Amino acid sequence: MFNFQLCGPIICIGLLGAASIASAAGETVQQDNTCFESRKGLSQVQQQEIKPGVMNVKCSPTTGGVLLWGDPFEGTIPMGDMSIEADYSHEEAVVKPREPQIDRNKLLTICSMACHNGEYVPYPENKLARPLKMHKDIVPDAMQLKHGKGAIWCLDCHHAATRTKLIDHYGNEISFNQPQKLCGKCHGQVYRSWRNGIHGKRIGMWQKGGKKRWWTCTECHNPHDVEQGNRNSGFAQLSPEPAPVLPKGMSNADHERGHGEQAH
Amino acid sequence: MSKQETKVKDANGATRRDFLRKAGTYTAASLSGAAMLLSDPKPAKATANVSWAEHFQKNYRLMTDEEKEEAIERLEKRYSEEFGKKVKVGSEPAIEGVLFGYALNIQKCIGCRRCVKACVAENNQSRGEKQQIEWIRVLRMEKGKFSAEDRDVHGYPEDYGIQVGGNAYKPAGVVLEGQHYYEPDQVPEKDAFYLPMQCMQCEKPPCVKVCPVRTTYRDPDGIVVIDYNWCIGCRMCIGACPYWARRFNWGEPDLPAEEMNPDTHYLGNRPRMKGVVEKCTFCVQRTRKGRWTGCVEVCPVGARKLGNLLDPESDVRKVLASKKVFRLRADLNTYPKFFYFMD
Repeated sequence: MFNFQLCGPIICIGLLGAASIASAAGETVQQDNTCFESRKGLSQVQQQEIKPGVMNVKCSPTTGGVLLWGDPFEGTIPMGDMSIEADYSHEEAVVKPREPQIDRNKLLTICSMACHNGEYVPYPENKLARPLKMHKDIVPDAMQLKHGKGAIWCLDCHHAATRTKLIDHYGNEISFNQPQKLCGKCHGQVYRSWRNGIHGKRIGMWQKGGKKRWWTCTECHNPHDVEQGNRNSGFAQLSPEPAPVLPKGMSNADHERGHGEQAH
Repeated sequence: MSKQETKVKDANGATRRDFLRKAGTYTAASLSGAAMLLSDPKPAKATANVSWAEHFQKNYRLMTDEEKEEAIERLEKRYSEEFGKKVKVGSEPAIEGVLFGYALNIQKCIGCRRCVKACVAENNQSRGEKQQIEWIRVLRMEKGKFSAEDRDVHGYPEDYGIQVGGNAYKPAGVVLEGQHYYEPDQVPEKDAFYLPMQCMQCEKPPCVKVCPVRTTYRDPDGIVVIDYNWCIGCRMCIGACPYWARRFNWGEPDLPAEEMNPDTHYLGNRPRMKGVVEKCTFCVQRTRKGRWTGCVEVCPVGARKLGNLLDPESDVRKVLASKKVFRLRADLNTYPKFFYFMD
């Protein structure tokens, strides 16, 4: 497990490097053609040609969401060690590393070195909630954190000293690339379903033993804003794709919107 | 004796094939009479290029392997010319020991319609204002509008006489039973849930029962497929399907060459012609090669699951074993293999 955590970021950086070289070399590749996979802004993917005539992703022209994956395993790394046996133990399981997404504005790197280095911002004495001077953009409901209904606070998930890591129940480090290990601490039922492949998302080969890319928790869920106001939904709102074209001769869709007030 | 017989058969077969192959090289114009009968009066490029042999090929199920190969070769040539790229038309048969089943988490669906658009991109449907064909439709289901003011406490109003069993003349609550054309800025909306529908790949498909030319049929892996070349466009199947899963090409399909997906299957997403019926095939071009369907992969909330119903360890079987599941119109004995579930 520790090995994996060491390697994770290196592989990611390697991949990022390769991607940027590829996009610089390809003349047809435009610069601003990023799409999002599940969470707008936090699961971005750069559209590029992976084989002649084959794009890595095909995106919706209206919402910028990915529609098709030319290669479902592009930019992925092995899922790494998991403590409990499941499908991922018997077949090739890959995930898209989260660290590059979180660190895309060098947030993770700078935070851990510039501020949370143990000196400038001292290590907190306890886990009790206190007014945050920063990070209100990331955690909009910081003082009444909805996540956990007041029972948890930053350092129940984040490592007190090493800000590039999450923690398990015993204070051991968890990589940002394996958030399931952290989330599973409380969300056991969902975690079980996820391991069984019936919660969350996988793409690739459906067959038993086939290679699959597993979506990890934070690719879809935002742990810092779990209720989105009062919607109480685990998934942030999105712009929908356009409605179907109305049948010929129909000028609007009022027929399906009225509650029959006129009829009665 | 028997040797001779086979020889004669072979010779006959070869002659017939040779004839068709030669005939195929003639243009539609030289056979204008038949061509007029078979194609559009103002043929689009696609229709004009259909060869004589393609019009007279057999029902796909009755073709020998050799004939299938020829038919596919013809199609690949035609499509490649028409779309200006190398188009592959697959003929993968059903995988042994597989029965496809689908499970959709109705609690998770956010109604974003990404599946609808991914399906169109993957399966080469006609698109644009003129003729838009989508195999998946997503219904917005309202949670209902109820008010105390509208409540009819008497059961029946004065002057209407005594109604047997009572009758509320002013319904207190109205629930819209599905909106196709909802267009909010953001989904999911607080007061709605969403119900996507597509072909349910019934085990006893009513569409197959009514097809007069048997061009639509159920393959051993449970997928109901269509040989578009054999379809006569009678639309009986559209009328028979209780799920509104089938679509008809009223005009020439509008499929821009640059958007065309060149990885196709004969019974699946190969470009269709005017006058044929089409529907969801569980992305037969993908699933028979082991890949998940376009809609399963695109769903941003992971509400869609596909797997082998015969494998107790598959996603779908795990859903059936551990979740609350229902099917639509199971009362019609169609045995749909498309399950809706909740956590």
